[in-house]
Amino acid sequence: MVRFIKPRKPGMVSRSNQQISRPRENNFPDTSWKEQVLSPDLDTNLAQIKAILDRCSDVMYREFIFAQNEQIRLALIYTDGLTDKEQISEQITKALALEVAMAAPGQEISKSRALEFIKQRGLCVNEIKQTDKIREIIQAILSGDSVLLMDGYATAIINGTRGWASRAISEPEAEPTVRGARDSFVETLRTNTALLRRRISSPNLKIEVFKLGEVTNTEVAVAYIEGIVNEKLVAEVKSRLQRIKVDAILESGYIEELIEDHPWSPFPTVNHTEKPDRAAAMLLEGRVAILVDGTPFVLTVPNLFVEHLHAAEDYYERFIFTTAVRVIRFFSAFISLTLPALYIAAVSFHPELLPTTLLLSIAGQREAVPFPVFVEVLIMELTFETLREAGIRLPRPLGQAVSIVGALVIGEAAVRAGLVAAATVIVVAFTGIASFTFAYSASIAFRLLRFTLMFLSAAMGLFGLITGVALIGIHLCSLRSFGVPYLSPAVPMTGADLKDVVFRAPLWAMFTRPRLIARQNQKRQEQNLKPAPPETRPRW
Amino acid sequence: MKKRIAALLLITFVIILAGGCWSRVELTELAIVLGAGVDLSEDGRILLTLQIARPGAYTAGGEAGGRGREPASWVVSAEGRTVPEAERFLAMKIPRQIYWGHCIILVLGEELARREGTGMVTNFFQREREPRENIYVLVARGRARDFLETYSSLEKTSAQAAGFLERMKTGYSVQLRELAEMLVSRGIQPAVTAVEVTEAGTMPGQVPGGTPPPQKEVGVAGTAVFKQDKLIGWLDPWETRGFLWLKGETMKGVIIVPGPEQPEKLVSIRIRRGKTKIVPEYNGEYPRFLVKIRVEGDMVEQQTRENLATPEKIKLLEEEMASEIKARAEAALEKVQGEYGVDIFGFGEAFHRKYKKEWRELKYRWDEEFSRAEVEIAVDARIREIGLLTRRAGIPEE
Amino acid sequence: MVKAMLEQGKIDSKQAILLLISLVLPTAILTAPAITVKQAAQDAWLSIIVATMIGLLIAGLVTGLSLFFPGKTLLEYAEEILGRLPGKMVGLLYIWWFLHGNALILDEYASFLCSALMPDTPVIVFFVFVTVVAALAVHSGLEVLSRFNQLFLPLVLGLLLVVFLLAAKDMEATRLLPVFDKDAAAILKGAVIPASWFGEIVIFALLIPFLDRAEEAPRVAVTAILICGLYLLICILVVIMIFGPHVSARWIFPTFNAIRVVSIANFLERLESIAIAVWMFGGFAKIGIFYYAAVLSSAQWLGLKDYRPLVAPVGVVLVALAALCRNIVELLNFLATAWPPYALGLFEAGIPLLLLVVARARGRGGRGA
Repeated sequence: MVRFIKPRKPGMVSRSNQQISRPRENNFPDTSWKEQVLSPDLDTNLAQIKAILDRCSDVMYREFIFAQNEQIRLALIYTDGLTDKEQISEQITKALALEVAMAAPGQEISKSRALEFIKQRGLCVNEIKQTDKIREIIQAILSGDSVLLMDGYATAIINGTRGWASRAISEPEAEPTVRGARDSFVETLRTNTALLRRRISSPNLKIEVFKLGEVTNTEVAVAYIEGIVNEKLVAEVKSRLQRIKVDAILESGYIEELIEDHPWSPFPTVNHTEKPDRAAAMLLEGRVAILVDGTPFVLTVPNLFVEHLHAAEDYYERFIFTTAVRVIRFFSAFISLTLPALYIAAVSFHPELLPTTLLLSIAGQREAVPFPVFVEVLIMELTFETLREAGIRLPRPLGQAVSIVGALVIGEAAVRAGLVAAATVIVVAFTGIASFTFAYSASIAFRLLRFTLMFLSAAMGLFGLITGVALIGIHLCSLRSFGVPYLSPAVPMTGADLKDVVFRAPLWAMFTRPRLIARQNQKRQEQNLKPAPPETRPRW
Repeated sequence: MKKRIAALLLITFVIILAGGCWSRVELTELAIVLGAGVDLSEDGRILLTLQIARPGAYTAGGEAGGRGREPASWVVSAEGRTVPEAERFLAMKIPRQIYWGHCIILVLGEELARREGTGMVTNFFQREREPRENIYVLVARGRARDFLETYSSLEKTSAQAAGFLERMKTGYSVQLRELAEMLVSRGIQPAVTAVEVTEAGTMPGQVPGGTPPPQKEVGVAGTAVFKQDKLIGWLDPWETRGFLWLKGETMKGVIIVPGPEQPEKLVSIRIRRGKTKIVPEYNGEYPRFLVKIRVEGDMVEQQTRENLATPEKIKLLEEEMASEIKARAEAALEKVQGEYGVDIFGFGEAFHRKYKKEWRELKYRWDEEFSRAEVEIAVDARIREIGLLTRRAGIPEE
Repeated sequence: MVKAMLEQGKIDSKQAILLLISLVLPTAILTAPAITVKQAAQDAWLSIIVATMIGLLIAGLVTGLSLFFPGKTLLEYAEEILGRLPGKMVGLLYIWWFLHGNALILDEYASFLCSALMPDTPVIVFFVFVTVVAALAVHSGLEVLSRFNQLFLPLVLGLLLVVFLLAAKDMEATRLLPVFDKDAAAILKGAVIPASWFGEIVIFALLIPFLDRAEEAPRVAVTAILICGLYLLICILVVIMIFGPHVSARWIFPTFNAIRVVSIANFLERLESIAIAVWMFGGFAKIGIFYYAAVLSSAQWLGLKDYRPLVAPVGVVLVALAALCRNIVELLNFLATAWPPYALGLFEAGIPLLLLVVARARGRGGRGA
């Protein structure tokens, strides 16, 4: 018992963070090359690189002679599939083996001047970099750049010749819109950063790139707008990213799980989006975006709970309509969390809650049903969730069939068979529909918690339900996302920010940025922007 | 440490679920009481009758079950010394848990109300949490059991029919909480709706090719007058109107007045709204009350042939109306004050509001004081609308 | 200062006002009407006004006293004023009062839920559940507690208002007449118990150090008492207007009965379960705040660096204390007779007054507001 009241000593590390088990170390082949540098001899270099990239059959080696000096041998190494072959053949091979003659006709370039000549006048590639470290060379080759080695030089030129087959910019699958841009991020980092740049054409949009993942060496970019964002936030994000030492980053979800504030909470404290306009809006509010190569989902921090109940097009339509829709969405969120539990509580514990005729009708339906309400609702909910999951996995033409309509049909059949009451089917179906009104990321949390609330309500009726909601509330109140309370701007209440929670104030009224996110630079726009015909336009 | 937490959580979980969930009752395990009736049995004990809904008859849009109507309720009785004891005896006959949360009416049998009074009954319905404060209380002319054993032609059950009748305030509607207030206060004595089983209409087609039998339905039959908690008499529907007007509630009704030019023919005026104000006076010896009744109504029918759509005629009608109302109110007053000697109108409370010092002694013998009180009734009647016609459209033109 | 290590959180004025409302209102609105009407009949609303004024006085006393000792909680400056040993005694008394008061509140709350909602469930289940929720809130810290409160209390207040509005159909103003039917003594007697509830605002003395801007403390306390008083006033008016003074005095939880009466268009009825559900959050908040007061003051008294380890033991003590009460009659009796002098006389007004007098006499403490 004494253990329970022993306070935590400072410096005590939580057990999940200690190194408890010692797995066997990786058995990678000799990695001593990471420290080495090139030698002046081309053949040695080639041999070394070929040894490191042994059995990587897609790495190509092209040796050729410099046009101006027959003595100088050049070797080009690139990975087939990752490079733009046209660019390589035109701007490197052709340029150096053929066309450089046009640049300095008749001139004999000595070996010592060759490098400079090639760099400045020979190579027609847009990006070049010079290095002597083998680690960088290997990384470059595997990233899609091509590496030019020269005989007699202990240095290599890395050419930016990346080009690969990638998905064209198409509509976002996970966030369909009615109004607003339809482009979505793709799996290539550069394309994504380009999409961001297209929207925020300001030199203050800073994009810093890291490589994460010991084996995958995935490129991760951190984007923020200097002057709006809180400097401490950027520093925190960078420090958390640098703490990551895993072998692979395949998706932004990996990073999300490794940098979030509350790993055990069902609620996500890091948001993600597929749409560049949404990401740009986040940046403009003072958040930081994390783009990961290989996935179209971009992370944004800090994340507030209300964001999950907002949609991008809330800002593109007029505010009256948007407010109404948002009210429906908030209401649906509440319903998707509590309706089954309310139904169970009302039918099992508090029949006085229902009007007499409704009660008698439900009672009549339940006469035929063999299960207690809780079991019935549980069965229907699980069926519904299964159908939902199946609907996602099926190929698209079939997926539509197996979804809500399918659930309703099955529900109808179950009612006829006398397994469930019709009211239960309605409740479950409506809950499901309600959970589709807002973003998928939050709906996962709600789905899990719905079951918890169902259990509690089956045990203790309305009292159990409210206890559950109170516990969820306490949990939500204790969450912080990168220092920002999760439930702001509702609690702690920052008056000006309430303009954008449930209601959406007209655009001309939202002249400050969220106070807790953009600590500095809160002014978004001028204040007297309400539109009006010329006579009535305010003069101030 | 982790194992302990896990164990604790597991135990809590099991306790919660396996503990039996004490208050959980499935809907199908509830006997939903729609109406309750209390009578005096032969040996002086309480006879509790319950009208319980049969949910099978209530499925909306369910499969049609046979040609006849499936009875929507089940009536069952048991005896006991008190209401809870009778309830427990009933529980031996009813295969489900008795649930009072949707009880609509509480019917008291005439004999019980006369001999023992409501005091034997109402405390259970107020103290227990399931019965609600807005249950309508009724007194049956006869046995409450007979009242509950009828069924309704329009509604699904007679309890619901009676409840709706009460809700529409066709007579004097009393909810349980209002009855409690009247019982507690010394300034007013209880009056409760009186109901009976009557014949009302037929349902054609029930008996193929023959005369359909007359239906026995529940109906409002005036008011029951109480002294303290015992029944002492009735007011018939006619007198009930007067009583209601004096009390200032449910200003509805139809006034029949003789036509101004053809007194043997009648004109009907329907009262739409009104207000009653009671002004008490006390001269140290006996109380005096001035009752100002204001009503507004529409003319709905004339059997005379004259043209009543002129201001003068309307004025005459209004005067007739006022005197008719006054007559009926006075009749009710005379019966209650003179014959029964109780104040069911609430004059005592009006008196209390104005003369709080005097009330402190008078309240202990208010019924006596009230019997000696002088009551003057002044009626101000108006006719607002006359329907869609001006002159009668059914008589030949001049 | 020791306190700086105990609680890092800060609360702003809006949150403080809501916290204080939660401190007083949820159980007051439940049982106060019946007890007050029993004494003052239909003049009970006048009693509430008197009680509000007494509450304002106590609020002024407490905030004034605390502002002489900025950054210190009640226990800390009690020691400073009276000396170490008497101060510790006072501290111990207050800790006991917090625990006892909380147990009573818990008992009241759980009894209500048990009687009104689920009578078949043993009341100890309610004790345990509620204490666990409150413990979790307290364990997470003052900020979380006040955020939780800020999230749900407006809901409670709003819903109460809506329900009272809906009940307008059944209210009759004549039930409030005649005014001054009972003499002033009865009205004052009726004011004593609500005043002892308002006086629970003395707990604010523990929270003032954590305010964002301590100089706003008087304004916060006064606003909270006024809002509580307003709500209680409306509640009592509604209850009397629906049931009349005689019947109101006989219910145990008249507000509950009043909500049961609401019926609009034969559709909007049976609202009491929803009202209870929403009101439950208020109860959680109130018990949580008292719980927090007990835990924080115990930690200060014991000189601990962190109050978290105390949360569980205090919870157990609470449940045990609450379970000591045998039935609701004992509870109501205690609340009606022993509670006012005990709480009001001693802890809410008596000791703070004593502290103030001694402090000024001895010249301790800095300049107040």
